[in-house]
Amino acid sequence: MKQMLREAIRKGQKSLSEHDSRTVIESAGVSLSRGKLVNTRAEAVSVAREIGFPVVLKGCGHELTHKTELGAVRLKLRDREEVSEAYDEITGINAQMDGVLVQEWISGDGREFVMGLTRDQQFGPCVMFGLGGIFTEALNDVSFRVAPLTVYDAEEMINEIRTRKLLDEFRGSPAVDREVLVKSLIGLGELGTGYDEIKEIDINPVIISGTVPVAVDALVVLETGNGLGVNA
Amino acid sequence: MEVFFEPKSLAVIGASKSPGNLGATICNFINYMKYECRMYAVNTKGESVMGCEGFTSVLDIPDEVDLAVIITPAEHVPGIAKECGRKGILRLIVESSGFSEEGDAGILLQEELDAAAAQYGIRYIGPNCLGVMNTHNRFCCFFGFVPGMYDLAFENPGTVSYIIQSGGIGVLAMDSFQADVTDVNKLISIGNKADIDESDMMAYMNEDNTEVIGMYLENVRNGRKLVEMAKKVTKPVLVYKVGKTGEGASAAMSHTAGMANNDVIFDNACRQAGIIRLRSISELYTLPKIFTEMPILRGKKIAIISNSGAFGGIASDLLVEEGFEIPVLSQETQDKLKKTGKLYNVSNPVDIGPALSIQTFNDIFDILLSSGEIDGLMPVPNVWQEVVIEAIIELIRKCQNYGKPAAIYIPNSIERILSIRKKYRVPVFESPEEAVRALAVSYQHYRYKKIKETHDEADAEGSHKERTEVIIRA
Repeated sequence: MKQMLREAIRKGQKSLSEHDSRTVIESAGVSLSRGKLVNTRAEAVSVAREIGFPVVLKGCGHELTHKTELGAVRLKLRDREEVSEAYDEITGINAQMDGVLVQEWISGDGREFVMGLTRDQQFGPCVMFGLGGIFTEALNDVSFRVAPLTVYDAEEMINEIRTRKLLDEFRGSPAVDREVLVKSLIGLGELGTGYDEIKEIDINPVIISGTVPVAVDALVVLETGNGLGVNA
Repeated sequence: MEVFFEPKSLAVIGASKSPGNLGATICNFINYMKYECRMYAVNTKGESVMGCEGFTSVLDIPDEVDLAVIITPAEHVPGIAKECGRKGILRLIVESSGFSEEGDAGILLQEELDAAAAQYGIRYIGPNCLGVMNTHNRFCCFFGFVPGMYDLAFENPGTVSYIIQSGGIGVLAMDSFQADVTDVNKLISIGNKADIDESDMMAYMNEDNTEVIGMYLENVRNGRKLVEMAKKVTKPVLVYKVGKTGEGASAAMSHTAGMANNDVIFDNACRQAGIIRLRSISELYTLPKIFTEMPILRGKKIAIISNSGAFGGIASDLLVEEGFEIPVLSQETQDKLKKTGKLYNVSNPVDIGPALSIQTFNDIFDILLSSGEIDGLMPVPNVWQEVVIEAIIELIRKCQNYGKPAAIYIPNSIERILSIRKKYRVPVFESPEEAVRALAVSYQHYRYKKIKETHDEADAEGSHKERTEVIIRA
């Protein structure tokens, strides 16, 4: 993985593509929506069939950090025609892409969380957990822990958010599997302490599907400053 | 570290007979305090100051010196540090200002000072600091202290030590303690903390005769060190830090970095490390008494005792707001309470009404503290009869016996509160909010240490399940 990160930095990338970002966070134990990177319309359709409709199509490239604004995201595609059409539209956008990501559509129950990693000048790598989706910034309901995290740290930071009740049985939805969250948060901390190449990580939203928190979007921002011994 | 607080032989570098010389105030104050050590003054003329033999360089002092206080213009400090190194003085307190706090020239001097310290293995406090004070052995190298100003602090050596980045906070604590039951142990002004910082001092105080560690911080340079060291500290650490309104990293690419303003991280790191973050500067000197005068609070169940319905209600609201429980007492306990006298309410809050004998008070305290139904008390009795003071004194003894704390507030004028507190040396808080907050920090300290202990054990055994259960119960 270090190889992949260093190679991206060497090429002058500021961040990883969603596909590569997913590989990184999966290694930390974060559960992901199923998905595959494709390069043809036919492949898109066959992967969509494999995963099962509906699916999501996203343009994938390291410069595509604001995919929705560019129109490079198509949600809840129900059949072959919709997938083909979306594939053509996305590849028609004037942007550098490695391919198109075909992902399963996670309907969820409306509960969305955020997880991430940041680097503080004084405290070093810090893991974040909080309320996700469109409310993240508006409600500012997040907690941080300095990496590396113990099980206790991860449990505490989950319990510290104001909207923690959403993690329990809530309006007919079952309680969220906290062990998966704990494992993911500890894993993100390990990425922070183990890889200086990673500057920040954003996983938003993490949608609750049944009891499982599933990451449906991910962004790994790279450390492009000096001090890594890489010729950036 | 001890050398900083109990030197056997001290050089004050920069002390001279020039009018207004700050180094001379240090020599003068140490003499006044009758701290016993060999003392030397170092200045350009080599003149003696306030009875301290004078030299032009530490290298000329015939005797061994274990601590040097430097209070010269900043540009001379790196050179002096080197001389100290050559002389074998490996502990310095650099009180001079004019380093990193004053721009590029100062930053350069800081680098030179660091190089000198590294070359000789010198450890130093400062620069740009006030010095250190140890009330127990009466050693104090604060510059500018006037004999007589703080006699009380030295006459009543205490157990609360402070690590501060502003001398004013130390003075505020000493002043405030004159009407309180706690007193200062050590006071360390760490200044720019270029070498020894708050984490080093905290680790040292965890081993000395300090009971509570208070800190006033303006910045944290090495946050990871603070977290790592604070986790190992067993004593309560109370921190007030300025700079709550820091901006997030504005140019951040990710949401995570954008949400992470430095104060939020500091706040969360405090929780992670078991540091108690204070909400106001006064908490630095009002809260320590809950730790020094009372047993630790081991649970969230509180019984309120009042002799006025109003304060029972006020205390209830504040306690619930802080996350405490006010359990209705069992029938058995209520029956016992009824037998003690004509009580107004026995369910909790316990409203004892007027005109009670000391025996009734004592019986009520014994019943509540031995019931097993509560973890601590919040007595809010109006002192309108002498017997109430007598009861409070008894209660403090009982709290120690039963191992449960009481945060006492008396709804009387502030003058009355202070005079009772001082005369009888009882840990009374100055507002119901302050008393509730004291219970909250006591429980916070207990909970952190307890859960961490359980987790450490569970980590050793490799079991996860038990940990989760402990947290849910807590």
